[in-house]
Amino acid sequence: MPREVEPSVNERQFFEKALAENLRLDGRAFDQFRDLELSFGDEFGVADVRLGKTRIHTNISAEVTTPYPDKPFDGLFTITTELSPMTSPHYETSRPSDPEILLSRILEKNLRRSQALDTESLCLIAGHKVWSVRADVHILSHDGNLIDASCISVLAALQHFRKPDTSSEGENVTVYTLEERDPVPLSLLHFPYCVTFSFYPSTVEEGETVILLDSTLLEEQLREGSATIGINKDGELCQIAKLGGISVDAVAFLGCVQVALARVKEISTFVIKRLAEDAKKRDKGDLMAELRAENDR
Amino acid sequence: MPLDTSTYSLALLRLDGRRWNELRRLTAQISTQVAADGSSYLEMGNTKVMCTVAGPSEAKGAGGVRLGNDRADIRVSISIAGFSGVDRKKSGRNDKRLMEMQHTIASAFAQNLFTKLYPHSTISLSIHVLSQDGSLLAACINACTIALIDAGVPMHDYICACTAGSTSSYSSNDETADPLLDLNTMEEQELPFLTVATMGESDSVSVLIMETKVQVGRLEGMLAVGVDGCKQVRAILDGVARARGTKMLEGSRM
Amino acid sequence: MASTRTSTFVLPGDRLDPASLPSHPTLPLKLGPGLRHIPPNTITPTVAGQLCTDKRKNAVWVEFNGGRYIPTTGDLVIATIQNSAVDIFYASVSDYAPKATLPQLSFEGATKKTRPQLSFGALVYARVTHANKHMDPELECVSQSTGKSEGLGPLTGGMVFDISLGMARRLMLPKPVEQGALVILDELGGQGVAFEIAVGRNGKVWVNSNSVKGTIAIGRAIQETDEKALKIEEQRKLAKKVAREI
Repeated sequence: MPREVEPSVNERQFFEKALAENLRLDGRAFDQFRDLELSFGDEFGVADVRLGKTRIHTNISAEVTTPYPDKPFDGLFTITTELSPMTSPHYETSRPSDPEILLSRILEKNLRRSQALDTESLCLIAGHKVWSVRADVHILSHDGNLIDASCISVLAALQHFRKPDTSSEGENVTVYTLEERDPVPLSLLHFPYCVTFSFYPSTVEEGETVILLDSTLLEEQLREGSATIGINKDGELCQIAKLGGISVDAVAFLGCVQVALARVKEISTFVIKRLAEDAKKRDKGDLMAELRAENDR
Repeated sequence: MPLDTSTYSLALLRLDGRRWNELRRLTAQISTQVAADGSSYLEMGNTKVMCTVAGPSEAKGAGGVRLGNDRADIRVSISIAGFSGVDRKKSGRNDKRLMEMQHTIASAFAQNLFTKLYPHSTISLSIHVLSQDGSLLAACINACTIALIDAGVPMHDYICACTAGSTSSYSSNDETADPLLDLNTMEEQELPFLTVATMGESDSVSVLIMETKVQVGRLEGMLAVGVDGCKQVRAILDGVARARGTKMLEGSRM
Repeated sequence: MASTRTSTFVLPGDRLDPASLPSHPTLPLKLGPGLRHIPPNTITPTVAGQLCTDKRKNAVWVEFNGGRYIPTTGDLVIATIQNSAVDIFYASVSDYAPKATLPQLSFEGATKKTRPQLSFGALVYARVTHANKHMDPELECVSQSTGKSEGLGPLTGGMVFDISLGMARRLMLPKPVEQGALVILDELGGQGVAFEIAVGRNGKVWVNSNSVKGTIAIGRAIQETDEKALKIEEQRKLAKKVAREI
C-alpha cells in the first residue's frame, strides 16, 4: 500500500517563484482551463471526458426495482465513484480514502440533492415499481481536477442516456425492448456543473491568496486550500464546498462565484453541441429512410 | 412553515421570536474536563456540543526519522449521540457526511494552528454532539476553537462559525428577500442556508459550505450576514476566554 | 561506433531473420537488453521495439520505451531524499518502488564529522552502484575512483520535469544528433539561451536557468519533443520559437 508521492523541495520552491511571476508550469493563464474533450460511446449513456491528461469514463444504467418505503413516489438515483489503482498506484480499491469520499460527497450534493435528475419522473407505479438509475464513474487517469471532469461526464452521460419505453395498465408495467419502441431520454431539470478553485498563499502581497482554476496533479499537491462551486447556467447555485484550508477574503470569493458562472455557461454550450453532433451521427434518417429499398451499391 | 410568512412580513419575527439578524443564545464553558488537555462545552440555542483536545502528543511512528512530518497532524473525530435528534438514530463512524465534517474541521485548524512548532506530533480533537437543533458544523467549529485555546495550542486567530440563510425560495429572484442569521433545524430543512467560518474579526473566510439551491444574487447578502454573525460569535467566545483568564490570574495571585 | 537502427520492428517472441544479425570473424555475438538466447540456436526478442545492431562490437539489442525504470548499475539518476537513518539516506528513484539507499559518506568532501545536510524532498544527481533484483538499489554521489563528485550531488533550484524513459536514453547518448535524432538542446544553446541541465535515466530531467520563464519554456520544449515525437526540422522550429519567447 504505497504512500502518495510528494513533490520535491525544488518543485515546491520553483512553483512558488513561478506563481509570484504570474506563470503556471504548463504555460496557461491562472483562469484558463485545459482543453476539454467529450466523446460518447456506441451505447446510450456512455460518456468519456478528457481534461488535459485527466480521463473519466461514465456509464449509466437503469433497471426497474421497488422504491424506498418512505418515498413511494421517487425513483432511485445512485452515483458510484471508485478510485482504483488504475487512477494512481496509491489508491486501494477496498478502502475509501479521503479524496474519494470527498469526491463522492460533492457529486452527490451537486447532482442528487439538487434534483438535477427528476426522481419523480422515474416512478412507474407508486409504491411498487420505479426506475433505479445508476451512474458508474470510472476515473481512468488522474492529473488533477477530478471533480469538474466527473461532473461533466456524469451530466453528459445522463443527457445521452435513453431508458426503455414503458406503458402501465393498473398494476402491470410492460417494459419495451429497444426493437419494439424507441427508448426515451431521462427528464433532467437543470444541469449543475462544478468549477473547482485552488488557493495558494501569495508571496508577493501579504495576506492575499492566489487563485488558480483547473489545477493539474502537481498544482493540487502543492495547494493550501480549495473550493468547489456547483452552479447551473441560469445562475442557480447548487452547492459551495470550501472545506477548510487557507482562508480567502469574502469579496474575492464572490468574484470566484461569478467566474464559475461564466465557465459553466461555456461548458453547457459545449456539451449541448457535442450531444447534437452525436445525435446527428446516429440519426440515419427517419421512417422514410428506413423503408428505402435502395442499397448503397 | 418555519417562517409563517403571513406574520413574518407583518412583524418580521421568526417563529422563535428572533429578528433576521439575531443570533440564538450562545453560551460556552471552557475547561469543563480537567483530565483533558483542553475541553469546552458550547450551546448555540438548542444545539449542544462538547469538545476535548488531546495533544500535541507524540505520534506513534515507526523507527527511523520520518523527514516528511515537519508539522503536527490534526485528527478530528465526531460522534453524534443517538438521542441528539428528534428520532433516535445511531450514526455509524463511516458516515460520509461525518467524514466530510471531520475533514473540514481538521483542514481549517491545520491552517490556523501553528503546526510547524510541533513536528512529528498529533493533536486529537474529539467532538460529542449531545443535541442537534441546526448549525451543527458551526457549533462544532466554535467548540473546537475554545477547547484549543484552553489546551494552550498557539493559533493565529479565533475561527468563528455560524449559519446564514435566505427567506427567498430558490426559484424566485425576490429582491426583498431577507437573509437570516443562525438557523434552527426547521429553518434549515425548509430554507436555503450556508455555514460560514471566518478568522476572527477579519473578512477572510475559512470554511464555506452550502448544500441547498439558491439564486446567485442572494449569495452576497447571505455571506455578508454570515460574516457579521461570525464577528458577533467571536466577541462572545472572546468574552468567555477572557473571563477564564481573569479567574486563572486571580487564583494564582492568592 | 557504427551502430545502426534498422527499421525492423520486433515484437516479443518474433523469429529473427539470421541475416539481420551481424556476424564477425573473431568476436562472439553480444546480446544486449531485450533479447534472449534459447540454446542452441534461437535468439528471440522479449520486448517490443526497434532492433539495433553494432557491427564493430558485434552486438545486437532492442531499443524500447518502457514504462517503469528498472535500476541498472552505472546509470545516472535523479533521486528524491525521503528519509534518513544512521549513516544513510533513503531516496526514491521511481515512484511506488522500494527506496534506494545512499550512504551519507559518498558525497564529495564528506567525513564522519561533516555530513551533507539534505532535507526531505531534496533532489540529488546520483549514480547507481548496486542494482539487482534481490536487493534494494544503492546509489552514490561521488566517483569511486577519483573521489570527486563530477557533477553528482545535490541539485539546488531549478525544476524537474518528467519525460519518457526512451527520451532520457536519447538525451544521454554520446552523440544525440546522429544516434538519437535530437537537436533540441543544441539548437537552444545555439540560439543563445543559457541553461543548466541534468538528465536522469529514470525519466526525469532537471533544468535551471536564470529566469523562471526560461526554465519552464525549456522544460516544456523537451517534453513536447518527447510527447509529439518531433523530427529534427520541427525541433529546430521549436527551439527558435522558445528562444524568441525568452
